[in-house]
Amino acid sequence: MKTRRMLCLVLALILALALCACGDSGDGGAITIMGKKSDLDKSYMQEIFRHYESSTGGKIKLISVEDAEFEVEAARRFENGEGPDILMHFNNADLSRFDVAEDFLYLNDQPWAGELTDSARNYCLDGEGNLLGLPYWESSVSGCYYNKTIFDSLGLKPAATQAEFDTLCEVLAQTGYTPICWPASGCCWMFQFALDPVFADDPELLSKINANETTYAQIPAVLGMAEWIDSAAARGWFGGDYMDTGWDQISPMLSSGKAVMTFIWDTWFYTDFKGGEYTVEDFALMPAFLGTADKGTYEGGNLNMMMVNKNGDRVDEALDFLKFCATPENYNVAFEGISTVSTFVGQNTNIESQMVTNAKPSIAALERVSTASTRVYGYSDVDVSECINSLLTGKTDPEGCVAMMDEKRIGEAKDRGIPGF
Amino acid sequence: MKKWLERLLLLLLVCAVAAATLIIGNIYFDYISDRIFEDSTGHLSEIYGQVNRAFGAFLERNWKLLEDWGDYLRLIGEGRDAQVEEYLREEQENWGFTEFYFLTDDGSFMTLGGRTGVADLGDDLGQLVYGREPVMVGEALDTGQDITVYAVPVEPGTFRGFDYEVLAISFTNADLASSLNVDAFSGKAKCFVIHSNGDVLLSTLAGGNIFSNYLVYLKAASDIGAEAIDKMTQDWRDGVSGVLRCEIAGVTNCVLYQPVGYQDYVLLSVVPQNVVSAGFLSVQRTTTNVLVVIFLLVGLTVVALIILRSYRLSRRSRVEILSRDRMFEVLSNSIDDIFIMLNASDQHVDYISPNLERLIGIPVDEARRGIRVMEKCVVNDDVVFPKTQLEAIPLNGNIYRECEYMHQNTGERRWYRMTVYHVAIEGVGKYIIVLSDRTLERQMNQKLQEALSAAKSANEAKSNFLSNMSHDIRTPMNAIVGFSMLMDKDAANPDKVREYTRKIKASSQHLLSLINDVLDMSKIESGKTSLNLDTFSLPQILDELSIILLPQAKAKEQEFKITVQGAPPEVMIGDKLRLNQILINLLSNAVKYTPAGGKIEFSIQDLPPAAPQYAKLRFAVRDNGIGMSEEFQKEIFAPFSREISSVTNKIQGTGLGMAITKSLVDLMGGIISVESAPGKGSTFTVELTFALPEHREAEYAARQRVSSILVADDEEEICLDIRELMEGEGVEVSYATSGEAAVEAAVERHGSGRDFDVIVLDWKMPGMGGAETARAIREQIGNGVPILALTSYDCGEIEEEARSAGINAFMSKPFFVTSFWQTVEPLFTGSGGAKETRPEHHAGVMEGRRFLVAEDNELNAEILLEVMDLEGASCELAVNGREAVDMFLKSQPGYYDMILMDVQMPIMNGYDATRQIRASGHPEAKTIPIVAMTANTFAEDVRDALNAGMDGHLAKPLNMGAVRELIGRLLGDDKKQS
Repeated sequence: MKTRRMLCLVLALILALALCACGDSGDGGAITIMGKKSDLDKSYMQEIFRHYESSTGGKIKLISVEDAEFEVEAARRFENGEGPDILMHFNNADLSRFDVAEDFLYLNDQPWAGELTDSARNYCLDGEGNLLGLPYWESSVSGCYYNKTIFDSLGLKPAATQAEFDTLCEVLAQTGYTPICWPASGCCWMFQFALDPVFADDPELLSKINANETTYAQIPAVLGMAEWIDSAAARGWFGGDYMDTGWDQISPMLSSGKAVMTFIWDTWFYTDFKGGEYTVEDFALMPAFLGTADKGTYEGGNLNMMMVNKNGDRVDEALDFLKFCATPENYNVAFEGISTVSTFVGQNTNIESQMVTNAKPSIAALERVSTASTRVYGYSDVDVSECINSLLTGKTDPEGCVAMMDEKRIGEAKDRGIPGF
Repeated sequence: MKKWLERLLLLLLVCAVAAATLIIGNIYFDYISDRIFEDSTGHLSEIYGQVNRAFGAFLERNWKLLEDWGDYLRLIGEGRDAQVEEYLREEQENWGFTEFYFLTDDGSFMTLGGRTGVADLGDDLGQLVYGREPVMVGEALDTGQDITVYAVPVEPGTFRGFDYEVLAISFTNADLASSLNVDAFSGKAKCFVIHSNGDVLLSTLAGGNIFSNYLVYLKAASDIGAEAIDKMTQDWRDGVSGVLRCEIAGVTNCVLYQPVGYQDYVLLSVVPQNVVSAGFLSVQRTTTNVLVVIFLLVGLTVVALIILRSYRLSRRSRVEILSRDRMFEVLSNSIDDIFIMLNASDQHVDYISPNLERLIGIPVDEARRGIRVMEKCVVNDDVVFPKTQLEAIPLNGNIYRECEYMHQNTGERRWYRMTVYHVAIEGVGKYIIVLSDRTLERQMNQKLQEALSAAKSANEAKSNFLSNMSHDIRTPMNAIVGFSMLMDKDAANPDKVREYTRKIKASSQHLLSLINDVLDMSKIESGKTSLNLDTFSLPQILDELSIILLPQAKAKEQEFKITVQGAPPEVMIGDKLRLNQILINLLSNAVKYTPAGGKIEFSIQDLPPAAPQYAKLRFAVRDNGIGMSEEFQKEIFAPFSREISSVTNKIQGTGLGMAITKSLVDLMGGIISVESAPGKGSTFTVELTFALPEHREAEYAARQRVSSILVADDEEEICLDIRELMEGEGVEVSYATSGEAAVEAAVERHGSGRDFDVIVLDWKMPGMGGAETARAIREQIGNGVPILALTSYDCGEIEEEARSAGINAFMSKPFFVTSFWQTVEPLFTGSGGAKETRPEHHAGVMEGRRFLVAEDNELNAEILLEVMDLEGASCELAVNGREAVDMFLKSQPGYYDMILMDVQMPIMNGYDATRQIRASGHPEAKTIPIVAMTANTFAEDVRDALNAGMDGHLAKPLNMGAVRELIGRLLGDDKKQS
């Protein structure tokens, strides 16, 4: 009887402890995942969450934050020890808000690390080669997309060098085409394509500029970009209306054949391009030449990655969840039918564009991780666009343009309180 | 039309010359361009021929080297890979190839460094392996660079265990392309090594080759036609060289192709035409510039000549136009026609002749601004140029109409015939408007019309005249005939005979005056009346008028008063006879139409003359008689006009008196007017201007003796007038308005020892009259002071009483200075004492006289002889002038006292007879008085008679009073004592 009483007492104690444990976490044992609301709402994310819960019985609690408030809120939580088990974050400059080494686990040794494509893996590394998270995102390849049909009709082949690209532009201009669709009005992504090779190919330079030890003005390639854009506009390679060309004009200019090339990403052809005289099948991909890389460059996709809070309550469960996500049968379920460049080696249910497929050798050789916009402190596509447009409207010269870029970058870094600025 | 044709031909000629120049120039430049193209492409072919040969040599050399190296590898044998590698590394250094390859028959390769792979040699692999022929392959290896591989089959061997049977080396295309670059074209030449299908093996493009197939590019970007493309590609396949000129991407290029000599590869050179032909083009440009300069100089010279000629023509044309304008201006200023030119489309005024302002008073500038301004000059609110009418005029047609314009400033009216012509000048429609002055024509027509009316009126007047004359002549004639019959019947009754005779005499006098007036009127109206201008004395005229009219007025108990206002000149130049006639007519009418006891005033007023050498007088005859109706006043100056009334019917008159008076006034340049009202009397006013004679003041001795006078008149105004007049003569005048005062003044002066030099007394003064006053003066101061009687009465009537009262002389009113001096002169010079100034009475003047009477008419002669006999004169009759001359010449001096000479006589008329008498040697030829006695009674007749040497003129029928008067004057009152 006494034994039974003791057994009941022990069981009651265990139950009480279990209940107590449950009461402490407040989430009923679910893994907490924090991200921007728009990111968490992506169909493939919802699919993997649903698939995980249905397959493993595990629970996931999403902490969805409005996009504009996300970075500050996430940093505040980690600073207060209230960080989620998993944080979804682009590996960009905003990551500096966190003490990465103290807050997150390095994932180099995770079994799924070899499952990542090189570009995906490279994107998720920190400056010291540590894998910071599992990329789980749709991805695209940015470069110079050109109308292959028009090229063929003129007996042209894609350029392999900046000089060839310039010659191409000249020949196209001479034959009556607008060589490059340059959406100067409200569009600004082209500049990160140009600056990626500058900083991706020279990590030391990236460190120096982020430490405010150098400036754009001291980097010849940055001035090269400004000079090339200025020259291209002056030689008519952007056509005549480029200052009024915005997002909405890119598709009609390309589909009508008025413009032959543009700097964009492959998924744009499946989301925004509306075929006309020319359809997506008429286009092909070659490296982007913007005066900074002689052989050209591709920019890999900006990937949202899931980072594990090393101080979280469910580190193991979080790691298990990442392992679940990186399993081919699971990610192929999540990304089935999604137009994206493959992030995983075994990814085969996604839709990869023929343009990217055909250019894979070249992409493999020339792709850079998105660096300028994600890693350079104070960088802003909008700011750079403003400076370049001042150049294109004759308000300044290339040197002045670069000086403006520096001024805006440094100003932004100071505003964010980046050390060294 | 001819000018237009000339201009067209000139234009065509210029166009033809320009076209010919352009065509010739074009042909010339085409020829030059072709020559330049040929020369430059020849030059280009030479250059690229060398390049091609060098490239072929390079190809051959590489193959030769590979064969030599194959031989060398075979000679040193297998297993000596290190030696082979060392050797080939040296060769690589020497020849500059990028890689050395050992290949198998399936394309697998191993590099000198041991790297393996597979080369994509394509079809060339078969040629190489099976054909055992060397090959050159582009893009065969994926090295990350554009390379070209040169390969030759060799004896099979092994290198580092790799079995090979082909050796190959590669060069980067960039290195190869540099060997194709030609410095001669400033880097602007492009050179390709392409396959005959257009695939590019090598290119010299600055940035690297961007063309996969240049043939495709040429088809798309050049203007080479499909046929030329086909020919060119066929040439490529056939290994034929060629050259063509085409435009690629808007730039003219020379495209030169030459076979490389290996397979279908072609060396294709693309050089801009201006680069190829730079030198030639420079020459061409220079030539062109020189030619252009020459053409420009020639052109400028031609243009300058044309401009100069055009300027001269223009100047000549301008001068001609200005001359025509000037001539037209002078012409239009000298005529009264107006010329206007309007633009047909908008009626803008192109031209208006400058005489517009002169003719209708509108300034030309004002009319230029709008032709409608002329409408305000149009009489009767007419429209000058109705737009619809103008527009309705067909081209080369015209319309016309009459219109009347009134001068804006002077109000002068002019008639114009306005003709509007619609013409086209150089294709531009114009309206030419000619306003032809028809004023004179119009006036002439009006005058003709008036003349016609006048002729009709004259005809009517003649009828009226005849009717009037018939009536007026028959009336007295009826009396004469009737009373003659009665006299015959009652011859035994002397009282009745005398009564009948009196009435016959009255009727005869009326008939005579009627005939005189008719003849006078006829003479005036025929324009044959002329004025006999001579100096006359106004006081004398007034004196004579008084003599004639005072008795008539007195007979009707009328008051007749003559007044002078101002100081009219006393001597003037004029026709005294006609002036007398005018004034007698007016005054006798006044007497005639004023009832008994009425009042007649005759005033003479001195008016300001137009010039100092003239005098202007206003004669006014005012009565308070029967007056005239307003209607009759309008007709009073018309012949035979007499107002019909119960009063006038009793008054005899011809109805011609006022017509004659008016005509004479008109003849004398004066004006006559009348104011009258029935029952209230009439006032006739005549204003006449007379010339003044050169001043000749009469020398009167009395002037030295007379320094003060006394004037007595109950009318103080007369006293003041006399004082004003005489003070002008330097004579002091004292006056008294009564006889008593005059006596008192005379006595007072006498008492002071300063008697008046002359005393002038009005004859009729209230209280103490002139005679009584004179008598009183004489009684108190004696006869030392001459006394003159100033009277409005007939002097003869008062003479006796006056002289008895002590009056020395008489003066008629009004008072005139000259009359005064003439009157007093005898009193101081003692030349006649108190000589009478009144007309003499000549009763019995002919008694005892002998007259030679020349009269051809027996009846007249009988009457005259009887009458003269009654006057106590004897007469001897001559029946013509000849006989009268003879009788006079035969007479003793003093036998005839006078010759009465008829004028119109047979054989010799009176004038000739007089001239002969005057010219004869008879002792009394110059002195015998000869008096014309004729029915020719006009002034001209009187003048002619005097001119012929006669001394006087008597009108028939004879007025015995006038006869006596004249004879008495010529012979004096001394009765001849026979």
